[in-house]
Amino acid sequence: MKKKYLLYILVLALFTACEPKIDEFAPSEGDADFTTYLAMGNSLTAGYADGALYTSGQTNSYPNILAGQFELVDGGTFTQPMMPTEAGVGVGDLGLRSKLVLGMAIDCLGTTSLGPVPFDPAPDQLEYYGYLATSVAADGPFNNIGVPGIKSFHALAPGLGLLNPYFGRFAADPTTDMLIGEVAKVNPTFFTLWLGNNDVLTYALSGGTLDSITPEPIFSGAMDAIVGTLTANDAKGAIVNIPDIGTTPYFTTVPYNALVLTDEADVAALNYGYAPLNVIINQYEGDTLAFKLGANPFVIADASLAWGMRQIKPGELILLSIPQDSIKCAGWGSMVPIPEQYVLKADQIAAIEAATEAYNAKIAGLADAFSLALVDMNSYLKEFETGMVFDGATYSAQFVLGGLFSLDGIHLNPRGNAIIANHFIDAINAKYNANLPQVIIQDYPGIQFP
Amino acid sequence: MQTQKLNLMKKITLLLTLVAMVTWSAFAGGFQVRLQGQKQTGIGLIGTPFSFGASSIFYNPGALSMMKAKTNFQLGASGILSNVTFQKSATNYQAHTDNPLGTPFYFYGARKVTDNLTVGVGVYTPFGSTSKWDDDWAGRFLIQNISLKAIFIQPTVSYKISDMISVGAGFVYAMGDVELNKALPYNNNSSVNIKGSTNSIGYNLGIYIKPIEELSIGIDYRSKVVMEMEEGDAVFTIPASLSTTIPENNKFSASLPMPANLDVGFAYQITEDFMLAAEINYVFWSVYDSLNFTFEENGEMLNSNNPRLYENKMIIRLGGQYKLNDNFTLRVGGYYDPSPTNEDYFTPETVSLNTIAFTFGFTYMPIKNLCIDVSYLHTLGSETANSYDPANFSGTYKTQAVIPGLGISYNF
Repeated sequence: MKKKYLLYILVLALFTACEPKIDEFAPSEGDADFTTYLAMGNSLTAGYADGALYTSGQTNSYPNILAGQFELVDGGTFTQPMMPTEAGVGVGDLGLRSKLVLGMAIDCLGTTSLGPVPFDPAPDQLEYYGYLATSVAADGPFNNIGVPGIKSFHALAPGLGLLNPYFGRFAADPTTDMLIGEVAKVNPTFFTLWLGNNDVLTYALSGGTLDSITPEPIFSGAMDAIVGTLTANDAKGAIVNIPDIGTTPYFTTVPYNALVLTDEADVAALNYGYAPLNVIINQYEGDTLAFKLGANPFVIADASLAWGMRQIKPGELILLSIPQDSIKCAGWGSMVPIPEQYVLKADQIAAIEAATEAYNAKIAGLADAFSLALVDMNSYLKEFETGMVFDGATYSAQFVLGGLFSLDGIHLNPRGNAIIANHFIDAINAKYNANLPQVIIQDYPGIQFP
Repeated sequence: MQTQKLNLMKKITLLLTLVAMVTWSAFAGGFQVRLQGQKQTGIGLIGTPFSFGASSIFYNPGALSMMKAKTNFQLGASGILSNVTFQKSATNYQAHTDNPLGTPFYFYGARKVTDNLTVGVGVYTPFGSTSKWDDDWAGRFLIQNISLKAIFIQPTVSYKISDMISVGAGFVYAMGDVELNKALPYNNNSSVNIKGSTNSIGYNLGIYIKPIEELSIGIDYRSKVVMEMEEGDAVFTIPASLSTTIPENNKFSASLPMPANLDVGFAYQITEDFMLAAEINYVFWSVYDSLNFTFEENGEMLNSNNPRLYENKMIIRLGGQYKLNDNFTLRVGGYYDPSPTNEDYFTPETVSLNTIAFTFGFTYMPIKNLCIDVSYLHTLGSETANSYDPANFSGTYKTQAVIPGLGISYNF
């Protein structure tokens, strides 16, 4: 009998001996202090995604992901001004709208295909206003003060809450408060600042028809004041630069030459139809319109030309906002020029790029002057043009299939946020000799195919 | 005698019916498993320079005709308790495998036809690998679980040229099957199951030399066996919206090589009861260059070429045996088994690290013709930082294995 027991003990010992131990990761804060973290910025910081601000989008915001890692080195509670709805509230062309989800949609030709469709059931306009009008200020102060839609200098504008309900809903007094005033309430020991995207983006998203690019001196002045306030109590932090618009699917999804003609009769009809206009164009020695079998540049409106239209040139951009049914069924881009609000022309792109470059020079200068970690998001997002692989999954800037951007083509999805959070962590670790662990990207929700 | 035979046969059938269920866990050296005889396992898995009866069919067919008994049967099995811990680089993430008990087994039967000519057959399991990670672990897009197994059947002829030298050859008929699961990044439930079985052939050649009474030398060459899988089943669990792009049921072909081995061993009888032995195994792992899947439908999108870039490696083994009395023989050994994997192409499907291991064993002879062989193998945990660059998946792996084994040998 005794021998039997001995055998059992031996077998038991064999089983338990069999989980190899590896030293655990040892997180450390290095020269920084992550006790109180404040995230300042725009929609990207707020957790806006899929064209709206909604609960789980906020939960998966990059600041909230970072705060989870800061907790490992004594980071405190991270409070966000949570939206009360998963349907979301976003700003669309025709008023407020819900978030987008991936679903089946039928186009004007009767073809069913997979694409972004509104969340179902979508709230009505009154409900949207209700969500935005309900103040959550009592839950504050907030560690995430990202406000969708704001430009750099808006952070210093008194009464911003009246113009921007996303701030209005968490400002103590929306009629007088400045966003920058929230900093003192939190008194951060560490901050992240990603601001300035909208200083070019609001212009770019409207095809250059609305708004204007913030002049560099105004941007720089605003950023000086903001960084000055953030670092007033010797807080350390990370500052993020502005990605080129060309890194986002919103500007790269529709090719300039997606007018594909497969029928000789269509080619002839278009050339015949534009013949009278080409006579006029020739008188001005302008570029005539010509069509051939295969891929053709779209016809776009151009108010700078006396005759009002031309074919788009390589390098010019058609925006994701273009109503695709109008291309498919209403002759947009062929018989009808695409309206200016859906196109970025070469001179507009050049102005946007010049401003982005100037802003980024300023941001790099601030990082240097205040000894902040510089998160070079501009260079980093460019690496996703061809795709980057993490843990066996490829992520690229391709719309929907790329798995990095949300369905609005501008903001990141949760995995995208996790990817950039890891990039923040690398920059923070390097700058402050800290040892913060990265997050597991695929533990965050990706694009969910239905 | 008759009942004993019957019992033996029962055990054999029992073992063979288990075949359908058995799995092996890799504990070293790629996915090779050399636990093909408990006596040999006890002496650091040295086998070439010994004439331990019918198990020479695997270790050295040349030594088979040197066996003393007229007829010898051996059967046995081991239990591989092995697990892996993974620490993902730059994160505080750790994962552990939950590997099932691996049970490689062997059966050998050999009979002297004449004094010089011996024939036999062996059924053994020289290759196999099981890794079972959690379905939602960080490496799920590389592998969730894999089970790879091979059973070799080897009819063998051995001829004793003189008391000093004998040679042998075996024909190998190999049966293999593989099943693996991995997640796909389309939504939270997307995955693919790949399953197939195949067979192949190979050979095993050996020579056994006994220049003086105290010294024996064995040389053995086991050919590579390439498992060509055709018409394997691939079942994709994918979102409905992608069902037109990726067919749910697909067929695949793939090829998995099992490498050749060249073994050279020496055994020296220091006293009548005390023997020391050493062996080197040169394993031609470089044949495992990549694992490529070709799919019948939608191959353009699904086909994958996965570099493995294994390198040839040499295993060094030392061991000894001491005959305590007529009933008991004790064994001890150890070996160093360097990993054939490439540090930049190291996948969690086969976690093979440089391994140092110790072995112990004994034989108990309750009656004259019966040996009960017990072995125990213990690997020292080894820890290595590796990466699978194509997937950008890197971290530190640590493995540990304990392997008890039991076998019997019967002469008549």
